[in-house]
Amino acid sequence: MKQHQRRRRLGLRRSVGRLWHHFFFRESTLSPHHATQGPARRPSTTAIESIKMADSVDPALTSPSTTAPSQASPNPVAENSPSQSLPIRDSKSAKQPAQSEKGTSKPKDAPAASSTGGDGASDKPLTPAQLKAKAKAEKAARRAKEKADRDGGAVAAGGSAPDAGQSRPPNTPKKDAASGGASQKGPKGAPPRRGSGPVTQASTAVEPKKKKEDKSVSVFSHLYGQQRRTTVNGAAKEVHPAVLALGLQLRDYVVCGSSARCVATLLAFKRVIESYTTPLGTSLARHLTTHLSHQISYLSTCRPLAVSQGNAIRALKLAIAGIDPSTPESSAKATLCDFIDNFIREKITVADQVIAGSAVEKIENGDVIVTFAGSNIVKQTLLQAHKEGKRFRVSIIDSRPLFEGKSLARVLANAGLDVQYSLVHAISHAIKDATKVFLGAHGMTSNGRLYSRVGTALVAMSAKERAGGVEVPVIVCCETIKFSDRVALDSIVVNEIADADELVPANPPQQVTGLPDPAAFTAPPVEPKKGGKGASAAPTQDSSASARTPSPSPLANWKDTPHLQLLNIMYDVTPAEYVDMVITEMGSLPPSAVPIVHRMSTNI
Amino acid sequence: MATTTESTPAAGAKPFDIVATYNELLRSDPDLTMPIAAIEALVLLLTHSPSSTISETLDLLAQSTAHLKKAIPNPIGLSAGTDLFQRYLITTLQRPGQLGPAGDFKAIRTHLLSNGRLFIRRAKESREKIVAFGRGFIRDGCTVLTNGGSRAVASLLQKAADEEGGPSAVRFRVIYVLSSISMNIEEPSGEPEGMETVRALRAKGVPVSTIPESAVAYALGKADMVIVGAEGVVENGGIVSRMGTYQIGLLAKAIGKPFYCVAESHKFVRLYPLGQYDLPIEQHVIDFKSEEDITEQSEQPVDTSADRPIELPLCDSVDFTPPHLISALITDSGVLTPSAVSEELIKIWF
Repeated sequence: MKQHQRRRRLGLRRSVGRLWHHFFFRESTLSPHHATQGPARRPSTTAIESIKMADSVDPALTSPSTTAPSQASPNPVAENSPSQSLPIRDSKSAKQPAQSEKGTSKPKDAPAASSTGGDGASDKPLTPAQLKAKAKAEKAARRAKEKADRDGGAVAAGGSAPDAGQSRPPNTPKKDAASGGASQKGPKGAPPRRGSGPVTQASTAVEPKKKKEDKSVSVFSHLYGQQRRTTVNGAAKEVHPAVLALGLQLRDYVVCGSSARCVATLLAFKRVIESYTTPLGTSLARHLTTHLSHQISYLSTCRPLAVSQGNAIRALKLAIAGIDPSTPESSAKATLCDFIDNFIREKITVADQVIAGSAVEKIENGDVIVTFAGSNIVKQTLLQAHKEGKRFRVSIIDSRPLFEGKSLARVLANAGLDVQYSLVHAISHAIKDATKVFLGAHGMTSNGRLYSRVGTALVAMSAKERAGGVEVPVIVCCETIKFSDRVALDSIVVNEIADADELVPANPPQQVTGLPDPAAFTAPPVEPKKGGKGASAAPTQDSSASARTPSPSPLANWKDTPHLQLLNIMYDVTPAEYVDMVITEMGSLPPSAVPIVHRMSTNI
Repeated sequence: MATTTESTPAAGAKPFDIVATYNELLRSDPDLTMPIAAIEALVLLLTHSPSSTISETLDLLAQSTAHLKKAIPNPIGLSAGTDLFQRYLITTLQRPGQLGPAGDFKAIRTHLLSNGRLFIRRAKESREKIVAFGRGFIRDGCTVLTNGGSRAVASLLQKAADEEGGPSAVRFRVIYVLSSISMNIEEPSGEPEGMETVRALRAKGVPVSTIPESAVAYALGKADMVIVGAEGVVENGGIVSRMGTYQIGLLAKAIGKPFYCVAESHKFVRLYPLGQYDLPIEQHVIDFKSEEDITEQSEQPVDTSADRPIELPLCDSVDFTPPHLISALITDSGVLTPSAVSEELIKIWF
């Protein structure tokens, strides 16, 4: 049953997502990424269609509730309490456009309402704080509030779901059967937060105990704070569609890599600025900043901002603040757009060329170059060196779960380079022949440490501590925009935790990197429907675990396995001693010069 | 500027030869270091050139610099000077005001020349500053191990000896590592580099012991510190220096003795070697030969045509001492840790 429910949930979730995407694509054409993205997520002509498709995935499983076309957002609820759900659905369906924004959170309320007697569908994403307050209120006067809840409840956010579930008596009756489990899930799962998904599963397993075992790794518990947003539900109304779409792309690693994220963010902000009109009674310089901060806070709920994004945003805000209030709006906007274009060109495009140019000089004939994961700047360097006729070998070290090195390997091999590909556990072997190590960066901290994809430190250390050989120089290619004034002593205090489900290898890894999967065609018929989603890394895992049956990974049930925790951490910190050289657009530096350059590049 | 007047008449007649001037300058003044000689040669070039615009001047400068670098087997030290001078001129020109791009070129030119000379004078004074900073490192009763023929080290040690007030008050000792390879190509049997300093120190009453390079590890136990000179200080804080410095650095690190480097700040060069074999010069220190090769070579007359790439003679070869072996750099802008070098360089360049 659990599986069924899960499937169902996924289907619904997906439909919601799709609907939104659909929406975006029509409304906003985003950067290039978007274009690629569009086709991948199947273009459904109408929102309803897409929903249906999603539903169809699990028709058998989903009892009566599945049918509801309107479910787009609140769906889970409906499932849980089939009988009551119907009316709710209707109402929702009618409301759809309006409510969709408010979001999935309603579902929780809805089921409760239905069971109890009409608490009804207040389905909006809830902010945690609001939720708690709300839950209490509900206890006191559930029934009386029925209607009120629908409207107001929306505010409460999905995060609070667990609390709500517990607090509500109405839910408990349902719990008895599958429906009970579903109802609990409903609230949580409905707002398709990635993080929430797992939680719900756990809860279903042991129904009475909501609190269950804490699945966060205690050392890193401070990093679990906020789960990544799963839908656009609950986004502030000020958030521009381009930004909404970008947020989801960031979350799904469609736009991945520090520079790419920075550029995409700036381009999205450019669109925001283009479509911005200063409200009466304010000045652009003042109001635009707050307007942007809505966008920024939305983006940061999708995925924590990268160092480069932070720096770019700071520069942009500075530029906005520097605008003379008497400047007419149109010219101010033009200035800002120019600023963004220049910024991208100077700090990233040209910087990359300069870096690649000076990094190429360090490559000599006969070198064996080790690199980790898929850094764009390293790729550029290696390609350019190859173009200049240098003969060298490349050994790519890659790691789960993102497999970023694969696309690098493909590009390099297609360009005619000699490429060896291995995973990080083969590092000691790969490093044996190495003569140089080239690394990309997510950021560099002020104590000269390198903050980059997890595994980088291991590669750097292997190179420096290689037994019985000459030291291998470790070279980092990094734009100065990635320099940060923060200090990192270890990988624990500051880091980013991704959904641990990514580690459950239920799906063929191709789906994680978005490679075309030769085996995909043999995959179960379910695939096609989900295919659209497959393009983005995140959602697939969920589906894999539940829907895809044949050989579940031993980790598939990790949430239900006592004493088992999975840690999917994104970054690590490489000590400065392991880095010989940092190549930036301002020249080659020792890691100790990072703070000086950072100061100079920000102050000037 | 005695040198200026000397070379002016010759240069007036025929096209100015930057390489010859540079070599002449180096020969005429034994105290002159390579970067300063290069800067001085460039200033002379500017005095002789009839350039009338800024870009023409800068172009001429860039051309002659490239020419000079190509003609000298080891351009590391030299390039420190030329790059610095070029940078100095550019920043001067960028400054707003009468002397900026808007001003009268004649005024700018005179300004450049006088500034160039000022630059040289300051560079020459830097050695005294170094002595002031470095004197504190040589304390009573200590033993200093040094090598090579660095003028900066020599003047530091001699000043320290003077300080003590004559032969009777000697309070430090010197272990001088003498290279087994003679420094003078013309007479291979001549005395090794550094003997002059040894004599001068002995004359001042400083006990000096001379040891071969092979005895460094043995002797280090008796030394309290190592002080060496440098041909160039590179961006990561490492030094390019006379062959043999690297091994002294390794040994000092292994034995736990502080390793100081004395260098003027005009020797800072924008170069980032990753290791011994990443220096931008050709040197054939390691030369594999079989019996056949040797006989073959002896039969063939030495090819002295100009096309042959200039090779660094073995006695002039250099090595690279990485920054982690260096305790501190004693320069005219203070005593720096190796990591501060890049900061200094960035300050000059941006």
